[in-house]
Amino acid sequence: MPKLAEFRKGAWGAFEQAGLPTTRQEEWKYTSLARISSTLGETWWTAAEPTGLTTDDIDALAIPDLDAWRIVFADGRLVSSASSLPAGAALTPLSELLATNGEQAVKALAWDADAPLFNGALAANSALAEDGVCLCLADGVKLDKPIYVLHIASQSGASHLRHGLWLGKEACAHVIEHYAGVNEEPGLTHAVTLVHLGDAAQLTHDRLQDESLKQFHLGRLDVWQGRDSNFTSHAIALGASLARLDIAVDLAGPGAACKLDGLYMPTGRQHSDHHTQIDHRAPHCTSREHYRGVLDDRAHGVFNGKVVVHKGASGTDSAQKNANLLLSDKAEIDAKPELVIHHDDVKAAHGCTIGQLDDKQLFYLKSRGISAEEARQMLTFAFADEVLTGISLPALRRFIEKAAFSKLPFGTDAEAMLG
Amino acid sequence: MLKIENLHASVDGKKILKGINLTVKPGEVHAIMGPNGSGKSTLSNVIAGRDGYEVTAGSISFHGQDLLAMEPEERAWAGVFLAFQYPVEIPGVNNVYLLKAGLNARRKHQGLEELDAMEFMQLVREKAKLVELDQAFLSRGVNEGFSGGEKKRNEIFQMAVLEPSLAILDETDSGLDIDALRVVAGGVNKLRAADRAVVMVTHYQRLLDYIEPDLVHVLVDGRILKTGDRKLALELEKRGYDWVREEAHA
Repeated sequence: MPKLAEFRKGAWGAFEQAGLPTTRQEEWKYTSLARISSTLGETWWTAAEPTGLTTDDIDALAIPDLDAWRIVFADGRLVSSASSLPAGAALTPLSELLATNGEQAVKALAWDADAPLFNGALAANSALAEDGVCLCLADGVKLDKPIYVLHIASQSGASHLRHGLWLGKEACAHVIEHYAGVNEEPGLTHAVTLVHLGDAAQLTHDRLQDESLKQFHLGRLDVWQGRDSNFTSHAIALGASLARLDIAVDLAGPGAACKLDGLYMPTGRQHSDHHTQIDHRAPHCTSREHYRGVLDDRAHGVFNGKVVVHKGASGTDSAQKNANLLLSDKAEIDAKPELVIHHDDVKAAHGCTIGQLDDKQLFYLKSRGISAEEARQMLTFAFADEVLTGISLPALRRFIEKAAFSKLPFGTDAEAMLG
Repeated sequence: MLKIENLHASVDGKKILKGINLTVKPGEVHAIMGPNGSGKSTLSNVIAGRDGYEVTAGSISFHGQDLLAMEPEERAWAGVFLAFQYPVEIPGVNNVYLLKAGLNARRKHQGLEELDAMEFMQLVREKAKLVELDQAFLSRGVNEGFSGGEKKRNEIFQMAVLEPSLAILDETDSGLDIDALRVVAGGVNKLRAADRAVVMVTHYQRLLDYIEPDLVHVLVDGRILKTGDRKLALELEKRGYDWVREEAHA
C-alpha cells in the first residue's frame, strides 16, 4: 500500500477509536457536537460538492483593499482562478502534494495523539483533509506580503482543510485565515492549522471566522515554537451556529514568546467556544493572552485558557486576561482560566471578569447628549475593540471592526463611529 | 432660566435634599457652598438626571420645561451641562468622537444642520486653546490615562464645545494645583456670556478668587440657609459654617 493511503487509513482508525469528543470529556463539558451528526446525518464528514461560486461571488466576500497574496478555498477546494500564489515554490496547495508527493503530504497531515487538547476530530482531519496551504519558508526568508487565505462555504456538506506553516530559522510571515459563508443549508467547516517556528522565526496569524449562521465550525491551531521565536495570534469568532476553536502553543525553545488575543461575539442562539493551552516548556519564555467576549440574546460562550509551566521553565512570564460583557440576562458564559505550575521562579497572572455595561460611563455619555442606545453601542464596541487594536493591517482591522459592529443590537451607523 | 422649587431628594431612602429653592437667570454666576455631606453633589446630579436619586417632592423648570421629566440626553439637548466632580474614564471611546456625536445630536434636535468633519475639527481646535488642552489629548480615549487636572480641563473643554446655556460645575476645583486651577477658571471666565448661566458647586472659597460669582448660597443639611454676595464666601472662609446653621435655627 502506498505510504499516503496507509497513513490515511491509520488516521481514520484513530478517529474511529477516539470518536468525536463528547460532553463527558472535561474539555468538552459545555460544547456538545451531537448537533453536528443530528443535523448533517450519520456521515456528517461527507465532503461538499465542488463549488458553483464565480470569481465575482468570491471577490464580493473577500476583504477589500488588502495588499496580500490571496488563496481561495471554496467548499474545501482550491479555486486556482481566484488565487495568486507567491512567486517561488514556498507555497504549495495540499491538493497538489496529495496528488504528487506522498512523503510531504504525510508530513503535512501529521496528527499526534499526545498533543494538548487532542481529540478524535484532529485524526479525522488527517484522514479526510483534501486541501489547504502548505507554506515552507527557508531560513531567513521574509515574505514580502501577507498571505490571505479565504475559505468560503457555499452549500451543505463538509470542508476538511489542513494548513501547514513551516518557518525556518529567522523566517518571517503574516498569514490571515478568513472563514466566510453564504450557505443556507447546514454545513461543516473543519480546519486545522499546524505551525512550526524555527529559531527566531516570526509569525503573525489573524483568524476571522464569520461564517453563515447555518454552519458548524471546528477549528484547531497547533503551534510549536523554537528558540527566541515569536507568535502573535488574533482569533475573531463572529459567525456559525456552533463554533469551537482549540489553540495549543508549545513554547519549546528558550526565549520564545507568544501573544494570543481573541474576540467572540455570539448572538441569537449561537454557541462559541475557545479553548487555549500554552505550554511553557523552556526557560525564559513569555506568553500574553487577552480574550474578550460580548454575548447577547440566548448566546452561549465558553472560554478556557490553560497555562502549564513545566519543570525547568525558569523565568517564565505569563499573563492572561479574559473579560466578558453580557448584554442580555439570558446570555451565558462559562469562563475558566487554568494555571498549572510545576516550577518555582515564575511570574504568572490571570484574571477573568464577567459584567455588564458600566452605569457611570453610560450616564457620562448621556449627559453629553448621546442617546441611551448610542451610548450602549459606543461602550460595547469600545469593549470589543480593545482586542482589535493589535491588528496591524488597517484594511483587515477595519473589515473586522465593521463585521463586529454589525453584530451589535443597537443599530447605529458603523461608518460614523469608526470615522 | 432655571427655577428650583421646594426640591426634596433621597438616595437609597436617605433624605439628602430637604426643600431647595433656587432661581438662576441668564448671564448669572452662582456659587453653592457647603460642608461635606450637605447635598451639593446630590443637587448637581439631580439637575443632570443621574439614576439613583429619587425626587420625592418639588420641581425643576428649565426654560419653562419640566426638567425632571426629561432623560439626561434630553437635558443636554436643552442646554444643561454637568462638569463632573469625578470624570469617568472611557477607554476605546474617542474624545473627539464623543463630542461630535453629542454636539450633532443636539443640533439635530434643534433642527440645525449637523457639522461635517472639517467644521467640527476647526471648532475643536479653537476651543482646545481656551483651556490650553494639548491636541494629543483629543484623539485619546475619553479621560483615558488623564491626570486629575487634565480630566477637569477636559470637562471645561467639552463645555466650550457643547456651549450649554446652563453649566453646573461640580467641585471643578477639587484636586487641582494652582496652575491648573488658573487655566480651568480662565476657561470658565471666557465662556461667561449674557445668555449663559453658571452654577459652581464648591467646598472652597478659593475658586471664587478666580471666578467671581454674582450670588453665593450656603447649602447646609439639604437646605439653602443663606444667600449673599461675594463677601459671604469670605465670611464662610473665616468663620466656617456653624454660625449659618445657628443663625438659621435662631
